[in-house]
Formats: sequence, structure tokens, C-alpha cells
Amino acid sequence: MSHAPRDPLALRAAGLKRWLALTLLLAAGAAQALDLDSLMKLLGQVKAGEATFTERRVVSQLERTLESSGRLTFAAPDSFVRETLKPRRERLEVSGNTLTVTQGSRTHTMALDASPEAVAIVEAIRGTLTGNGASLQRHFTTQVEGDLERWTLELVPREARMRGQVAQVLVSGRQAQLREVKILMPDGDTSVMRIESLPR
Amino acid sequence: MAPREPSGPGVAAASSSSSTSRRPRAALWVLGLWLLLLAAGGWVAARAQYRADLSAFLPAAPTAEQRVLLDQLRSGVTARLLFIGLRGGQPEQRQQASRELAQALRPGGAFAGHFDALHNGEGDSWKETGEFLFAHRYLLSPAVDVQRFTVDGLREAFDETTSVLGTPAGSLMKPLLWRDPTGETLRMAESMVSANSPRSEGGVWVSRSEPRALLLATTHAEGADLDGQAAAHAAVRAAFAPWAAQGLTLELSGPGIFAAQSRASIQHEVERLAWAGTAAMLGLLWLAFGSLRPLGVAMLPVASGVLAGIVAVALGFGTVHGMTLGFGTTLIGEAVDYAIYFLIQSHPKAGGGPEHRGRGYLAWLREQWPTVRLGLWTSVAGFAALVASGFPGLAQLGVFSIAGLLAAAATTRWVLPVLAPDGAPGQGWRGARHRLGEVALRAARRLPATCSLWLGLMALALVWLVWQPSPWRANLSSLSPVTPAALALDASLRADVGASESGTLVAVSGASEQAVLERAEAAGQRLDALIARGLLRGYDSPARLLPSLRTQQARLAALPAPEVLRERVIQAAQDGPLRADKLAPFVESVDAQRRLTPLTAASLAGTPLATLLQAQLVTGASATATEPGRPWTALLSLQFPSDDAKAQAAALQALRAALADVPEVRVVQIQTELSALYAHYLGEAKWQAGLGALAVLLLLYGHLHGARQALRRLIALLVPLAAAVLLVMSGLALAGVALGVLHLVGFLLVVAVGSNYALFFDHLTQERLDGADATETLASLLLANLTTVASFGLLATSSVAVLAAIGQVVAPGAALALILSAAFQARRAPAKA
Repeated sequence: MSHAPRDPLALRAAGLKRWLALTLLLAAGAAQALDLDSLMKLLGQVKAGEATFTERRVVSQLERTLESSGRLTFAAPDSFVRETLKPRRERLEVSGNTLTVTQGSRTHTMALDASPEAVAIVEAIRGTLTGNGASLQRHFTTQVEGDLERWTLELVPREARMRGQVAQVLVSGRQAQLREVKILMPDGDTSVMRIESLPR
Repeated sequence: MAPREPSGPGVAAASSSSSTSRRPRAALWVLGLWLLLLAAGGWVAARAQYRADLSAFLPAAPTAEQRVLLDQLRSGVTARLLFIGLRGGQPEQRQQASRELAQALRPGGAFAGHFDALHNGEGDSWKETGEFLFAHRYLLSPAVDVQRFTVDGLREAFDETTSVLGTPAGSLMKPLLWRDPTGETLRMAESMVSANSPRSEGGVWVSRSEPRALLLATTHAEGADLDGQAAAHAAVRAAFAPWAAQGLTLELSGPGIFAAQSRASIQHEVERLAWAGTAAMLGLLWLAFGSLRPLGVAMLPVASGVLAGIVAVALGFGTVHGMTLGFGTTLIGEAVDYAIYFLIQSHPKAGGGPEHRGRGYLAWLREQWPTVRLGLWTSVAGFAALVASGFPGLAQLGVFSIAGLLAAAATTRWVLPVLAPDGAPGQGWRGARHRLGEVALRAARRLPATCSLWLGLMALALVWLVWQPSPWRANLSSLSPVTPAALALDASLRADVGASESGTLVAVSGASEQAVLERAEAAGQRLDALIARGLLRGYDSPARLLPSLRTQQARLAALPAPEVLRERVIQAAQDGPLRADKLAPFVESVDAQRRLTPLTAASLAGTPLATLLQAQLVTGASATATEPGRPWTALLSLQFPSDDAKAQAAALQALRAALADVPEVRVVQIQTELSALYAHYLGEAKWQAGLGALAVLLLLYGHLHGARQALRRLIALLVPLAAAVLLVMSGLALAGVALGVLHLVGFLLVVAVGSNYALFFDHLTQERLDGADATETLASLLLANLTTVASFGLLATSSVAVLAAIGQVVAPGAALALILSAAFQARRAPAKA
């Protein structure tokens, strides 16, 4: 069917609409995409929490994957406790600058900043749990991907010595909850910790 | 009393000529004896040992806890520590400087030889040690026992070790896994790594609170070897020099620094005080006498006194402390008083002829010498109270002053009459002195009117002292010649490195090295229980670095034979994460270590562990035929979970209860012990001051006993002294000065020295002396007082707190004692000048 020559106004209106729609779509997408600050703000809103975790560790020298499970609790601004219940009871408590490790009946306390190797892991978990963006940026280069429903935070240690211990930490979650922490070590070993928040 | 001479002019002429010919011979004897004594004294003084360190205030400790502290202070490794801080510039610069400085100062570096060990947080220095520890892990690991090497034990150990893998701590274990699958390396690291490590940045230690990098060095020279310490400090500064050019600054602190600084400052102060004191004396004497001869004569008792003091201390104590010489410079001011009294107060009889020449001293001996002598005894009584002090420095001061005063008085009594029988010759300045005396006389007449004013001030002072909180607030640090700034730097560096001094120690003694290690292990077990209860955070023990022979042998016995071990390993690794066939290196290691000989302190020599061990284990000596034995002592320093005082007190109570059944164990709280030490010496000093004042009182009472108006005279003697003490005490309290042991000593000296003035005024009143005689006495009193106040006033300006304390009290106290003695004299009939 032949059309009358298009009304230039109508054409322009259509173009405008398309342009508007595109802009809206982009804006909506931008609203969904996350950056570190907004992610941290979101995570920081949760002041305390408790979760169960299961961890699988793949170490090249060993015959099989190591599996453990237990409870993870944290409290703003700077403390968290990881209590392993299976297969053996262990407790790792971090509060401020103090790291306390309890294995069986033995407790060992040390200053966190005295060993940069421990700082990498501890800060990755603690910084994310408490939403401490400043601390994360001080120790790692950060990259956030995904959106609010599924986000991934990639952390690579800034200091070369720390990179010798931990190559990369990948934290992923949904909205304000952590779901998974994946630690990759330079020699190929990995540790994947899955977190299930307990209902409060 | 007339001079004992035959009467009659002819006889007088004859006898005077024979006595004048007798006199030169007697005079020669006196002079000769005196010069001989001086020479002998000079010889002893030149050969005496002089020490200018802090040991003047380290007493022979009465309790065992304090002995532990003092042993450490004197000869322990803690006395060889040097804290180094690098400030300024960028963090990377500081970290680089730390690395380069450590390399230069370590054995093998450019400035090697001064330090046994240098730690800056770099792991490289521990590599050798790590290998040593690894090669002896089955002797040193606390987890090795029979149970560990059963099948169940092995399984559990494998699980534990593998659970660490996959964490960063495990990355250190990975290369060792097949040789050490039971994780002994981890257990050793746990027990030896302190909970107080400093922060690590860029691989080196940095401060948590300040922008500085930290290093900790142990000098090769002993703590008491001040020259070696100074050389080590110089080496650090030289190694740091290139970095100073880039804007970094060096901070040094530690016991060696304090000792070197104190020695330098004490030496400097003593020299300054001696020169300034002598110059001040000479200046005042020149003003008073105007010619050189009396000046020279006046300095003779001073010289004799100082020499006698040094000799007495050298012979009585063996070494002379620099502090004693510092205090002793006040003797210059006191000894010259006798010469002043003699020179001014003795003169040929007015209107006498030539036969009276050369006899001026006789009148003085008759009339004034008894008062001077009594003043001498009261001063000696005051100083005698110090001789029994627990502080060697104060005991030496007492002996020095007594000997010095006695020698100065003796020289005045016997030698000066020979050299200047008529007192100070020359009329030149006598006019000025006479005018001075007149002024003094007028003042002395007016002062009694102000009596009630002084009483009022005294009452006010008393009320103030009673009402305000006690000004006796000083503590042990007030005795230290180290400046507060240096102490603050030291505390800050120690806190950064985690080597805090004030803490709690558990001191375990034993008769031999093995006995003390076994006891330390027993104590350690009790402490482990407390850690499990949460009362303690951790502790350091030498038994971790060097277990007792018994423990090591038990561990060796627990290692099974290779065939047995292989069997058990296969069983334990079944279904486990480790493969049994890869564990052959483990079985070989265990077999190799089974055949090791147990470690002794000698095996650790040459490794950095030796220094660590020395810091925690004080070697003793077995009793020999000539010397008593000294016990071995293990020092376990404790770390508490919090700084809360109540929590710590509760923990300490539990600690004492837990350790009650371990023999020869003591819990030493360093801060508490130091405060108790000071409180003990303050208490002792109060007794001594009391006894000294009592001795003075008894002397005065004895002097006045049976005389007319004895009680009134006694009051006139004592009230000025009490008032002077009260007014000075309240003045210092008002000024906010914290009074301590040395101030107490100063008050005692005010009483001792001030009593001289009071006695002279009493003498004047009794003899109803007026006119020219009184003028002479008053002028000499004023001059003597000026010299004393000047010499103590110089002391008050000293930068060494200990010396300044005495000066602060005695300078105003002596001046007030003179004024008040005049004020409280009984009013006499109006003068008939």
C-alpha cells in the first residue's frame, strides 16, 4: 500500500520516541549496574549477621577435596568469627587488629598487621561483610560486575608480597547478602566458601 | 680566760722569744704533717676508681623480686637492647633505609662487629634459624609425645595440617608437607611467635602510631661497658649518615643510650659545678678580702676537705660515684665558712703592740672556736644520718661530707693559725667589710621585731601543708638523670616494637640449668591452663627455645622406629587426604632425628636464638670454694588480654594460686616493685632525717644543759630551723614541685647547716657582744651564708634532677635559717655601740 509522504513531524516524533526509549533503557540499565561505593553502602547497611557456610578446598598435593562447614558471624565495624564445626572444630576470630585462632584446646593470638599474608584473606572477607570500601581499596584493586541481583566483586591484592600468597578473591552475592567467596592462590589451589544467611 | 703565758713583762719578753722560737718548730711539724697527708690523699684520690653511671641509685635490694629486676638491669640482655626508629621522608624511603641500615650493621655488613643481632622484620635473618628449628623439630615441638605417633594421633595430625592448607598460613607449610605432615613447624611457630609483633609494611617493621620504621638491635658490648655501647651508637649514626642527607631522622633509645647519656651529663655537671663553684667562692672571697693571700689561705681548708672526702669515699666504698662528686661540690661552700670565720674574726688585739702580733688566733681559739666546733658537730650529726642510707649515692655523700668537714675544720684549727696567725691582713677592704658588718648589725637589731610575722607565716605554712594533698609525690623516675623527653621516646619505641618494660614476669629459680628449665616447664603448664580459661593471652618461656633434657629425651623416646612408623603411617593415611607412599621423607626425617643428641644452651650459641634465650634465662653459677653460688633464673613474661586493671588483678590472683605448688617461683610486677622500692627508700630516708634532726637536738640540748634560761635558748635555736624547713617545704609545694627522697635529704641539711648560724647568734646574745666584735661576727656569718647559698644555689640550677633537688631545698633554707636565727634571738638591751 502506498503511503502518503510521511509527515515530517510524525517522523520526528517517532525518532524522538525511539531516542527517549533508548535513553530510558540505558538509564534503567545504569540504575541496575553497580559500582563499589553503592555496593559497599548496601552491604554496610547490614550491621550484624549470622550465616552458615560450606567450604571446598582444592589443593594440588592432596588426594581429595577438603570439605568443611560451620557458622560465620560478623558485627560492624570490624569483627567477624568463622567457626568450623565439621570435620573438626576450629575457630577463627578477627576483632580490630587481633586475630585469634583456636584449634582444639589451643588458642593462639596474634596481631593482624604483623603478617601481611593473613591480612589479605581477612580483609577481603571482613571488608566485604561490613561494607568497608576504604579498607578494600587500600589493600586490593577492586572491580565490580553484575547488578543488584547478582554481583561479583573481584579483589586483587595491591602489594606484590600479598599477591604471592593470594592471587585473587572473588566475592559474589545477591543484594546485601554474600553468597560465595572464592579464593585463588598463585599455585592453582582454590577455596570456595558458600554462604547461606540464617533467617533473623 | 687569760692566755696561758707567764706574766710580767720581762718574763713575757723572754718567754715570748722562746715561744716564738718554739713556734716555728711546732709550726713546721704541723705544716709538714699536713702536706704529707695531702700528698697521701692525692695519691689515693688519683688511683681511685670513678664511676659515673646510674648505679648510685641501685641499692642492694632487700627482696628477691627486686634482685631479679636489678640483675636484669645490670647484666641482662635487656641492658644490651638498642631501639632504632627512622622518621621522615616517604614510607618507601623509610622502608628502604631500614633494609639498608640492617644490612650494614649485621654481621658481615660494613659496620659489623658492634651488634650480635639486628631485627627489622625482614624474614631473611630468620632463614638460618628456621632451618635449624626445622632440623630439630621433633625435639622442640610441644606436640611431640607418644600419643602423636599412634595411628589415631597421626590421623588427627594429618587432618589438622591439611586443614591449614588452602589458607595463606598453609602456603608456608606446603613445601614442607611431605617431610612434616604432622605440622610440627606450625606448632613451633605458634609457641615462638610473640603476640606483640610490630606492624609489617613493605616487609619491614613500622610503627602503628607514628610514621617511622623500626629496628631492634642487640649490642655485642655488655650493658655496663659504656665505651663499647658508645662505639655501637656511633656505628649506627655513621651507617645512617647517607640517609640523613635525604631528610630522614634517626631516633635511638635503650638502656645503653640512657647509661651513656647519664654518664656524659653527670660528668659535665660535676665539672661545671666544680668550676663555677670555685669561681663563685673566689669571687666572693675577693670581694671580702681584697688581696690574694687570704684568698689562697681560705681555699686551703676547702682543698683539704675535698681531698679528704674523696679519699674517705674511695677507701670506704671502693669506687667514687660521679653523683657524690656532684653533691660534694657543695662542700666547697661549706668548708670555706670555717676559713671565713677564722680570717675575719681573728685579729691582733686592738691597741696591742708588736708582741701581740702573731697571736690574733689565740683569742679566736678561745672565744669563737667552741661555737664553730659545736656547729661542726651538728653538721656532722646531720650528715651521719645519711651514712646508713640504702642508696650508695647518699651514703657516699654522708661520708664525703663528714670527712670533708672534719678535715676543713682541722685545717682551720691547726694549719691556718700557722699560715695566717692574725687573720686576714691588710686594711684595704676592711672598711667595706666593716660597713657590711654595720648593715648586718642594724638588720640583726631590727629583725627580732619581725618575729611575730615569721610565726604567722609559719602557722600559715603548717596549715597549708596539712590541708593540701601531700606533696611527697615523687617516684623512682625522679631519681633518674634521664630527661622526660628521652623517657617518652623510649616508651614510644618500646610500645611499637612490643618490648614493653613495665609488665609482669614470672621468675623461676633453680640450682642448675636443667632444674630451672624443668620448673619453667611446670610453670608453663599452669600458665597454659590459665590461657585456656581466658585469663592470660600468652607468655614467653625459655623452655620453648630450649626444653629441659628430660623433656627432650621423652620426646626422642616417643619417636617410633622406622618400620613401626611406616606401618602406622599407611594405616593413618588410609582414606585420608595424604598419600602414604609420598610420606617416605617423613619417615626418614623422624628416623634421622631419633638419633640426635639433645640440645643444650651451647648448641644454640651462634644462632639468633641464643640472644633470645639469654634474655629469658639468666645464667647462674654453681657454688665454688671461694664464691657462693648464684641461682639460674628463668623469666617468663606474661601478656594479658586487656589493660583493664581489675581484670589483670583477678588474673594475677588466679596466677598466684595456680603457681603456688611450683617451688621457687615468684610473680614480679615490675611497676609495682619499682614503686615499692622507692616507697621503701622514702620511708628509710624519713627515719634517717628524723634521727639526724634528733641528734642535732640532743647536741644542742647537751650544750645548753645547766645554763641559764636553757629552755628559752633552746627554743631560740630550734624555732628558726623548724620555720626554715616549713617555709621551704610549703614554698616548694605551692610551686607544684613533687617532693622526694632528695628533698628530704635537703631538709636534713638545712637543719644541719642552719644550726651553725643559730649557734652564732646564741653566742652573740650570751656574750652580750656588741659593737665592733658583733660586727665582725655578723659580717663573717653573712659572708659564710652567702658562700653556702651560692654553692647550693648552683646545684639547684643543675640539669640533673637529683642534684637540683638538694639545691632547691638548701639554698633558700640556709638563707632563711640565717634571717630567722636573727629574728628569733632574745631582744637585748638597746645597743651601747
